[in-house]
Amino acid sequence: MKKLFLLILTVLTTIANVQGLEAQPIIMGVATDTKILDGAATIRGLTLAVEEINAAGGVNVAGKKRPFKLEVMDTRDCDAGVPVSEALLVVEKVILEKGADFIIGPSRSEAALAALGVISKYKKIYLSTCGGLSPKFHTTIAENYDKYKYAFRITGESGYMAKEAMDLLTHLTSQYGLNRMFIIVQDVAFARAGGEIIGESLKKKGWEILGYQRYPTGSTDFSAALLKAKDAGAQVLFIMGDMPELSILINQWYDMKIPALPFGNYLGPAMEPKFWEVTKGRAAYTIVNVVNAGNAPSNATPLTMKFYRAYQKRWGTEPEGYGAASGYMAPYVLKDAIERAGTLDPDSLVSALEKTDLVGVYGRVRFDPKSHQIVPSLDPKEGAVGTIFQWQDGKRVVVYPPKIAMGEIKFPPWMSDYWKIKKK
Amino acid sequence: MNIMNILIYGFVNSLLLVLMALGFALAYSVSRVPNFTHGALYVLAGYLTWIFVNRLGLNYGLSIILSIAVITGIGWLVYQVAVIRVRGMPVSEIIVTFAIGIAILEFLRWLGLRGATYVLPVFYMKTINIFGVPVDSQRIAAVIIAALIVLALWLFTHCTKMGLSLRGIAQNERAALMLGIDSDRAATLALSLGSALVAVAGITIIPMGNVNVPAGYDVLVFAIAVCICGGLGSWTGTILAAFVIGFAQTIVAYLIAPHLVMVVALAAVILILIFKPSGLFGRQKELEERV
Repeated sequence: MKKLFLLILTVLTTIANVQGLEAQPIIMGVATDTKILDGAATIRGLTLAVEEINAAGGVNVAGKKRPFKLEVMDTRDCDAGVPVSEALLVVEKVILEKGADFIIGPSRSEAALAALGVISKYKKIYLSTCGGLSPKFHTTIAENYDKYKYAFRITGESGYMAKEAMDLLTHLTSQYGLNRMFIIVQDVAFARAGGEIIGESLKKKGWEILGYQRYPTGSTDFSAALLKAKDAGAQVLFIMGDMPELSILINQWYDMKIPALPFGNYLGPAMEPKFWEVTKGRAAYTIVNVVNAGNAPSNATPLTMKFYRAYQKRWGTEPEGYGAASGYMAPYVLKDAIERAGTLDPDSLVSALEKTDLVGVYGRVRFDPKSHQIVPSLDPKEGAVGTIFQWQDGKRVVVYPPKIAMGEIKFPPWMSDYWKIKKK
Repeated sequence: MNIMNILIYGFVNSLLLVLMALGFALAYSVSRVPNFTHGALYVLAGYLTWIFVNRLGLNYGLSIILSIAVITGIGWLVYQVAVIRVRGMPVSEIIVTFAIGIAILEFLRWLGLRGATYVLPVFYMKTINIFGVPVDSQRIAAVIIAALIVLALWLFTHCTKMGLSLRGIAQNERAALMLGIDSDRAATLALSLGSALVAVAGITIIPMGNVNVPAGYDVLVFAIAVCICGGLGSWTGTILAAFVIGFAQTIVAYLIAPHLVMVVALAAVILILIFKPSGLFGRQKELEERV
């Protein structure tokens, strides 16, 4: 009897050990600014995907099913006055203390760029899911491939967003005759880059760039730029930034009845589903680029609204801002690469990720093999599509790209009257 | 460039700075305690009002009154619980109040205070054209409230016994003690009143944007810059310095570049410390320096 008991105990212990080994989680270290909208949204997207993957059995690593586990640490890199070095310490901490197998990187471009060095040192696969929009991120990888090959960006970037904006603005010229712009950007790398690129590109297309104003993070009065834009006769206000204070800019624009269409090629607060409510409708007519499809309702792929509804069910809110859809896609892309590579070895995974080709929330996901930038497209069947929406009657109506558009651009009445806007 | 834009927005900006700095100046002039919780209380006032309106469903006016009362109470507690133990040790006073301020702000951050969601309703939604320059009604309300506060404070400190005792302490603490004025009681009152003033500032200014944690640090920096330039302890100097910095910021924003606006206040502090260390109206300190 005693022997039988010991035998059963041994068998049970062995089973438990085997299960324990199988259940050893794959650690996804998230070192991002958790208190900004994009960071919080990316964490929610990641959590949702990880829960779905784990519920379906986990990741098949060479025949063994292993779950994902998220380890989140706050870099605070978007706070004014927090030096980049602080964010890097957090990236290092999530690797050394939490034993991260993969890294989801910092939000601010300056920190994301600096993190490339840390990632290279520890040879960890690094996916940029939110922030880090500066084109310098993928050009740096392309220029120093051997050193930075472990980093991939699974979202759009300022350069391509500028191309999308150009396309939409050219449409405004051909359809409505608009060609006078005033640029207002937050004084941070990605926004400065975005503003400069759009300004230079539009000049070549015959647009008049009437002014370029930078505002430091934390600014609370934008009247100077708005009145300058009005005096100069701007028809489009090109805005870029992620600070919540940009809602003041939109409120002031509406209150002052500036006869120019606000176009936020990245406008943090206006991405939030509650923006209409908190501005008491002053968000009306504001156009916003949310970088990836899925961050606003559209039918880009069969997965887009599936994700949209799952996110709403899990978090009680629509996908917020930029970072939700890309955060959701990151674990699925990693799962796909790990299962094809059959290992967590970073060098093998780099090759596997370079061969990624799957349909996601925002279209076909592929990476450029040299720069590791997601391949963008205007067609979700060819690549990752962006999304530009306009606030109309309390809803976020997708107006670009044409393949996924749900409505047309509208103009504020005081602007239509001032410029006598008519469709050609 | 329309000169009226600069004049009107310079005036508005200056009075917003007066609102931000007056509480700090009042507390310092009476108690000589630099209340570094100032910025945190500004944000906390906005957050509490938001909670009262959106979570408890209270009337906006009642929520404002409750928030001001709570912040006044916190100012009282800060002095009675913490500052009183280190009174007279300037470095310790700074450390204690700064620590409490950081604790409040980081607690709010931990609670999830982020994004543009935390917004207070504007008092009245309308745009008024003043000499052809459009100004939103909340800014006009802020100007009126700032002017009323300055007037009320003058009346309080010149026409009431309590106010006169505060002035007495501010002018000469030893003489005031000899006349039977309780220094600790006056300092507690000054910190509470200063906290109430910053709560009013928060509730008036925050509806233009949103409640966010970094604003706490910005408001503290602006309040200190204005008080140093005006002369620490001088209320008149505070108001004058607010106008100098406010107009300088507006001129820089309109004629040079808006991204240099943040530099103006700090540059003003550096210039004042080089050329007139006691500030524009810091007479007491000036006398000490001469001696």
